[in-house]
Amino acid sequence: MTDQPQSVPDESGPGRVLVLLDGSRLSLAALEAAADIAALRGNDILGVFVEEVNLLRCSGFDFAREIGASSGAARPLDSAMLEMRMRALQEQARRSLQRAVASRGLRQALKLCRGRVIEEVLSLAGPEDLVVMGRVGWSAAPGSRLGSTARGLIRRAPGDVLLWAELQRRPGHGVVVLLNDDQGANHRALAVGIEQARRRHQPLTVLVRSNRDNGPEVVKAIEEQLIARGAGARVRLIPRASAAEVARILRREAPAELVVSRQCSVFDEQGADRLLVELNLPVTVTP
Amino acid sequence: MTVPAPLNIDQVYHRCPLEKLDFETTETLEDLELPCGQERVLRALEFGASMQAKGFNLFVLGPSGAGKQELVERFLSKHSGEKEVPPDWCHVYNFKNSDRPKALRFPAGQGREFRTDMAGFADELRTAVPATFESEEYQSRIQELQEEMAKRQHQGLFDIQEEANRNNIAMITTPAGFTFAPMRDGEVIDPEEYKKFSDEEKQLVESKVEELQKKLQQTIQQIPKLRKEVRERVHALNEEMVQITLGGPIGELREKWSHLPDVVAHLDAVREDVVEHAEAFQDGESGPPAGLLVRYKVNLLVDNAETQGAPVIYEDLPNHQHLTGQIEHRARQGTLYTDFTLIKGGAMHRASGGYLILDARRVLTQPMAWESLKRILFSGEIRIESLERLYGLVSTTSLQPEPIPVSVKVVILGDRTLYYLLSHYDPDFLDLFKVEADFEDDLDRDADCYSLYARMIATMARGVKARPLTRDGVARLIEHASRLASDQRKLTAHDRVLRDLMSEADYWAGQAGTELIAADHIQHAIDEREYRASRVRERSMEQITRGIVKIATSGEEVGQVNGLSVLRLGASMFGQPTRITATARPGKGQVVDIEREAKLGGPIHSKAVMILSRFLASRYAGDEELSLSASLAFEQSYGGVEGDSASIAETCVLLSAIAGVPLKQSFAVTGSMNQHGEVQAVGGVNEKIEGFFNVCRDSGGLGSQGVLLPESNVEHLMLRADVRDAMAEGRFTIYPISDINEAIELLTGMEAGVADENGDYPEGSFNRKVQDRLAAFAEVGKKRNGDKDNGNGEGGKDSDD
Repeated sequence: MTDQPQSVPDESGPGRVLVLLDGSRLSLAALEAAADIAALRGNDILGVFVEEVNLLRCSGFDFAREIGASSGAARPLDSAMLEMRMRALQEQARRSLQRAVASRGLRQALKLCRGRVIEEVLSLAGPEDLVVMGRVGWSAAPGSRLGSTARGLIRRAPGDVLLWAELQRRPGHGVVVLLNDDQGANHRALAVGIEQARRRHQPLTVLVRSNRDNGPEVVKAIEEQLIARGAGARVRLIPRASAAEVARILRREAPAELVVSRQCSVFDEQGADRLLVELNLPVTVTP
Repeated sequence: MTVPAPLNIDQVYHRCPLEKLDFETTETLEDLELPCGQERVLRALEFGASMQAKGFNLFVLGPSGAGKQELVERFLSKHSGEKEVPPDWCHVYNFKNSDRPKALRFPAGQGREFRTDMAGFADELRTAVPATFESEEYQSRIQELQEEMAKRQHQGLFDIQEEANRNNIAMITTPAGFTFAPMRDGEVIDPEEYKKFSDEEKQLVESKVEELQKKLQQTIQQIPKLRKEVRERVHALNEEMVQITLGGPIGELREKWSHLPDVVAHLDAVREDVVEHAEAFQDGESGPPAGLLVRYKVNLLVDNAETQGAPVIYEDLPNHQHLTGQIEHRARQGTLYTDFTLIKGGAMHRASGGYLILDARRVLTQPMAWESLKRILFSGEIRIESLERLYGLVSTTSLQPEPIPVSVKVVILGDRTLYYLLSHYDPDFLDLFKVEADFEDDLDRDADCYSLYARMIATMARGVKARPLTRDGVARLIEHASRLASDQRKLTAHDRVLRDLMSEADYWAGQAGTELIAADHIQHAIDEREYRASRVRERSMEQITRGIVKIATSGEEVGQVNGLSVLRLGASMFGQPTRITATARPGKGQVVDIEREAKLGGPIHSKAVMILSRFLASRYAGDEELSLSASLAFEQSYGGVEGDSASIAETCVLLSAIAGVPLKQSFAVTGSMNQHGEVQAVGGVNEKIEGFFNVCRDSGGLGSQGVLLPESNVEHLMLRADVRDAMAEGRFTIYPISDINEAIELLTGMEAGVADENGDYPEGSFNRKVQDRLAAFAEVGKKRNGDKDNGNGEGGKDSDD
């Protein structure tokens, strides 16, 4: 088991950017986004590569077969081959990480560990850390837009989680923050939204889910917060509708990125999954 | 025989009677729509232009500068005004076979409208179709579709995962796919621990894993099928949306063009094509690819929107491409590229339904142009082919536009030689050009012609933007027109010469600061023209006056006479005398034409000498053998001699040589002669007389000189004023002769003599002298023959035998 960072940076700045590397195409795209954010924040970047213990165990069975995700062809899965593949992926992750930080002058480290991905990440990440990962990992079941690791981490991570998505055919414009009018975690989501809008040099829109008559007050409160942070944004009230309806509203806004708090009521009753599945764009979930 | 009376000045110049010109200046004269005296051409044009049957195209024959093109254009534009305006033609994209653009026919003016309609339609496509794809309806439908499909894909895998979980088996993703393994409490069982399972348990697990693997395989293998289904359904949705979007605009166009079934069919094809390429319109920002929208454009090949009546087209560069049209190419990043919008129509397209005027020489000198023209006339349709393809020089694929039917009346303008050569050598020619319109070179000059000719001059003067002519100016021009026609009873129809002369006279009038062109300006222009062309003539004259070329204009000589010849240099011609000499001695009835022996004489000249030799024999030898060895030569002539106009002079000089009677050198002689001694007309008499006049004037002065010319040539005389003045003063005389005897009497001053019934001429007459001398030659001949028979061969040395 390899568990040695390549170069451990000094602890500096509030938090780090953790990027989950599994060698998949989307994880490499997420790495680029993570490097951008780290450069902007002046944070260190920590690559995390986890060897899934369940997978390693699978290769120990004589009857184990690997069914190709595209071809459907079955072939034996032996541990030597799997070991070799893992090593190749690690090497690739290392190179990608080095390449990504080289041009940005960042400090990086690669954490290699073996276990269960969610637990390993939770053990590494603190409340100030931003976890960046692809929405789905390698192979990912065809048609799936949200992997099990992503599902787990957006609910459990102590800090923010950015789920990176494939680049769209027609990329949207602007950053949208989705808030509830009654939640207490709006500050954090708003802060992340402002930061992302600045990073992208794009306008910010705040959508507030509200069913009550206190709409104007809520809008005013949010505007005050924005002024306090020296940012401008369009604030719009939307009804407290189902996740599908919210997805429709968001599609019309056509943003390039979404920021949403885990405490937002749309997350209730599997709503988050629905929303995230329907919106194929980078989403940051704040605690 | 009496000597003919000399001509008076009225006989050598036909004046224009001023009283026939009923105007002060040409300003008051009306334009002449069609030229006078060209009735034959006009009738041929009228017939040819109206005749509908195939092959009745026209060939207008006439010398260059006769004004053929102007006349034909003027006539046809008048004639075509009443005819129907021909249709427009467009090329459009052929959706079934893109290499063969289709041709659409429209009533005149509607082609342009259709082009605008289709341009508007393409603009609408550019915005309306992307808008449809942007629409909420489309987006949500496509979303639904994709979701449904994703769900179906995902569901299969999810079901297997569920089933696996129920059986305590984990479905784990690997970098390349999936694998199954037994689990407990959500964790895959350690393989070492698994080994401890009973065989029964193991078998249970493994058989389940195997079953799940098979199911998974089946599910995954279904995915491409599902994806294909998605694609098909998305495509169907796109088609449906585009159909709805296009319904409005296409429906309007279909209704508008419902009277033209081909256009409606094209609109339907356009709709199908847009639907088929619906996806290409989806990108709203950069718009659909330009290559796609170009297919809906209209290439208006023939636009008759502003044509009045039938078109009359004159193609001044009638090469293959300009006649049949061409397919142009555009260079794009070093590659040549073409499409149906780059098809350009030719003169045949533009003239279809009307008239196409071409210059024969130009068509014939352009590669393949004549063949292409004939091919179109034979087939009745225009097929655009590049010259390289016709020659087989390229083999790259190119467009082959649908041929366009053509009905055009071709009018070819050319000189007569070309017409006769084409008739003789081109078997197709008479099939295609059945109407011959032959231009008159001259017009009759009679009492009625003056007013018409004056109007023609007035029209021309306006045409060349010259000042108006005074009455005497017109008269002088008419007289010069007769001189140009070399006939007192004709006027030249040569348009260009008259126009040029008028322009020049206008210039001289301008120099003189007058508002009108008068007779002296016309005369000035004529003199200037002559002067400009006089270098060679003056050099030639100088040679004579300096005695380098020997010409005697006084005294008498045996065997020597002044003949007259004409030299043509470019557009000008002038006459000059030539000394003709003869020798005579006994021989075997031979007249040696030295010019012919030296291969300097042409066939007509040789024929004339043969005629003269037979004349001598029949007139003077009677039944006896002509014992004569004579020779004739044009002295100091180093070029060729052609024509029979020196026959009279040659006869006279030969008779002088035989008889030993001197001829007056103050006369020059011209005229041809037949075997009976009758004098016949020749050409260029004005130039010949003026040429001799100049020589006489410059080398010793005028006195008793003169010219003998055929009587039948008198009406061709239009002599210069100075010649006429000299004639009036009696210093220069012109005798019209009709018989050789008249020439003999004038040249020798002797009576010629007429033969009696025995063929003998009266004593003392010239002819008697000739007869006697020939009889003496015959005696010598006989004696020589006798000597030969007696074995004395000395006489055989006579080289003339």
